[in-house]
Amino acid sequence: MNKMTKTSEQHLASNADESVELISRRNFFRKAAVYSASAVAATSILSPVKLNAADDPAIVHEAEWGIKLGDPVTKNRYGVPSPYEHNNTRRTTSLLASGDDYASISMCPIHEQEGIITPNGLFFNRVHGGVAHVDPKGYRLMIHGLVEKPLVLTLDELKRYPSVSRVHFVECPANGGPEWRGPQFNSIQFAKGMMSQAEWTGVMIKDLIADLGLKPEAKWMLAEGCDNSEMGRTVPVEKVLDDAMIVWAQNGEALRPEQGYPVRLMLPGWEGNLQVKWLKRLEFSKEPFYAKEETAKYTVLTPSGKAIQHFYPLEVNSIITSPCPEKPWTDLKKGDLVEIQGLAWSGQGTIKTVDISFDGGDNWVEASLKGLILPKAWTRFSYMYRYEGKPLLLSSRAIDDSGHIQPTIDQETAVVGVEAVYHRNSICTWEVTDKGVVNNVHIRS
Amino acid sequence: MFTLDRKKIISSALVASVILLGTACNASTETEKAPAKTETKTEVVKTVPETQATAATGDKGIDGGAVYTIKDGMYTSYAVNEQAKKDFTFGRTPSKTEEAAWDIDVMPDGTGLPEGSGSVEDGDEIYEEQCAMCHGDFGSGGKGSRSTYPTLSGGEHDSLTYQRVGDNTDGPKRVIGSYWPQASTLFWYVQSGMPFNHPKSLSDDETYAVVAYLLSINEIEIDGEEMDDEYVLDREKFMKIKMPNEDGFIPVIDGPDGPANVKKFLADPNNYGNGTRCMKDCLEGEKPNIVRIKTEINAFEPPMSVERSFKEAEASGPIHPGQKVYESSCAACHATDAMGAPPSGDKAAWDTKLEKGIDVVYANGINGINAMPPKGGNMTLTDDQFKAAVDFMIDSAK
Repeated sequence: MNKMTKTSEQHLASNADESVELISRRNFFRKAAVYSASAVAATSILSPVKLNAADDPAIVHEAEWGIKLGDPVTKNRYGVPSPYEHNNTRRTTSLLASGDDYASISMCPIHEQEGIITPNGLFFNRVHGGVAHVDPKGYRLMIHGLVEKPLVLTLDELKRYPSVSRVHFVECPANGGPEWRGPQFNSIQFAKGMMSQAEWTGVMIKDLIADLGLKPEAKWMLAEGCDNSEMGRTVPVEKVLDDAMIVWAQNGEALRPEQGYPVRLMLPGWEGNLQVKWLKRLEFSKEPFYAKEETAKYTVLTPSGKAIQHFYPLEVNSIITSPCPEKPWTDLKKGDLVEIQGLAWSGQGTIKTVDISFDGGDNWVEASLKGLILPKAWTRFSYMYRYEGKPLLLSSRAIDDSGHIQPTIDQETAVVGVEAVYHRNSICTWEVTDKGVVNNVHIRS
Repeated sequence: MFTLDRKKIISSALVASVILLGTACNASTETEKAPAKTETKTEVVKTVPETQATAATGDKGIDGGAVYTIKDGMYTSYAVNEQAKKDFTFGRTPSKTEEAAWDIDVMPDGTGLPEGSGSVEDGDEIYEEQCAMCHGDFGSGGKGSRSTYPTLSGGEHDSLTYQRVGDNTDGPKRVIGSYWPQASTLFWYVQSGMPFNHPKSLSDDETYAVVAYLLSINEIEIDGEEMDDEYVLDREKFMKIKMPNEDGFIPVIDGPDGPANVKKFLADPNNYGNGTRCMKDCLEGEKPNIVRIKTEINAFEPPMSVERSFKEAEASGPIHPGQKVYESSCAACHATDAMGAPPSGDKAAWDTKLEKGIDVVYANGINGINAMPPKGGNMTLTDDQFKAAVDFMIDSAK
């Protein structure tokens, strides 16, 4: 132990010596540079060697951040992104607000999404009565109705239950909903940004209610929030006893207020609206509750005039994220080898296959999946493409392990029409022009 | 049809794994069914890891999706602690009073519907004072600072079959009378979530009155009787309401077969659209019909950009002590004049209010006046916090 400490001390000391040496050497060069006849006027690492105008200043000049101290570790006790990344942000538009910004949505910048975990500050945010700020000391969760032993828990008591962590997407069923009757947004953030993914930590509800004695006639569960809108939704007991969770953490930290701090419901793969935030109450019942968000809204009206109610799962879906309107191929040269990649997901299972078409759905090739392949989770797909500078119609089509295949726009609208608002999962197509510009288009027969 | 598709997928998956094995063994077992390979895609990397491939049981869940179980300590790719999770001792039993305080949901069979009564006329008055600023006269919808608030009336039940395709520009009108299957939802919604900026403030009688008014402007008849101004709605009459679109929803969720109906419906993707896995000549000689954006919507906030540039820290002057309260409790109505409230920063509007002096403005706000509820509906504010918010709105006008 002592020895190790000593070694590291020595190491530090020798580093310090080196840097002193380095600084003085650089000072020498810097002074020398003053006399250099180089065409490049600024400080140069290589002076007094003559520099060529074509040499990259980013390499041959000392960068500002390399010659002065950075921030002390005491700055930003809670870290923030680089100020250069300020355009990687949630965005809003009036079209998607209801009246004001309190029953509204902010869209996730999925064109900047890397991997499959959305940073907590970029997670899309849909609220119905503003973002509630719940004091954890005043938080209570009540579980009652058709159980032998009703229960009230404080937040600390809830967190005493054994936890599991699962990676799941959350998607608003209205994702893509403004485009039933044609493309409107030349932007992936607005065409498909009502979704994000996190690792959620909490207790499986089946573990929690095992002790409470669910009565045999219990068929449904009301989940209700404690925010201004008091969001309520009816959940079938079969889902509750399968993979439903009560979660208090996302990506390793407490839920963000926008995601229902301190506690939300998690129903893997199901409509975001069902994942009730600021969760207050679970009530088991014999009959469904007919809550406001399962009658007036979140129902899929079909051309027959009948509406599909209790349409829980988000169906198999995919989108190419690179290229996309925000991240075009305008910088590519003919002959460049480039990765096409995107996200595929299904609330009804695990992604099994993703196909890609370059000609608007006439011919398809199979893409590779990459990274983690998890149930009810975003899965990355990848395809290496030799860019030819020719116009393309680039589409992706996902298949999950429950046998569902992403439909074409024609296949989907033939069944549910164009007034469904929710649950649009038909194949998305980007038009890539000969200049590499990417546009949102629809392919119809 | 669906079963056939499924078999096809399973068999194609088997083919894929055969190919994979074949490639590994360098054997020549490629079949014509192999996915088309292209120049740039030199290897077929295509399978779901074994733990996941075996985890799906083949059963369908209630959502028509795959069901996974724990096998050998693994739930798909997740390791699981399989020790007993039973007999926890945390928490306590709620009292009956506590349960009653939170259990205010109203179900179609009348569970949770309180005793009480209210007339259409009284409802009209409350509506004008507390609802019309957002939902417009007679539920016609109103304008907020960003877009329109929901319309509450004026839809024909027949409109539900309208589809805006081709030259048809009339879409379905989904309002209370034309669309909502149960009146219980309306009572529950008004009682728990409305008025928007200060919900849970109406008494049971007031809720009955507002609900009566909303049903009357939707031309709902109760037991064959029209709801005119004098109509008084109470619990008994409420239980007789049959909404015109009660049978407009599929699948049927009521009764002991409800969950099974849902399961059966969702298990068949032909009920909501499924694709086919065609790989070649899928358009059968036709050119793809490309529909481009007609009128692009790009009023995004902040504007779209992927530029990586250094953003100077926003100039941050001192923050007004009332700004935070304003943003959380006042802005919903005072951000614009859409709701008839003096907008923050509108000098003319505030000068009118200030004619009788600032103390009168404070007092009216604290006690409530016209459409302005006491303290804007946020009774948790202290008088000082409230006054600071008023100051902020007036100071912004200078």
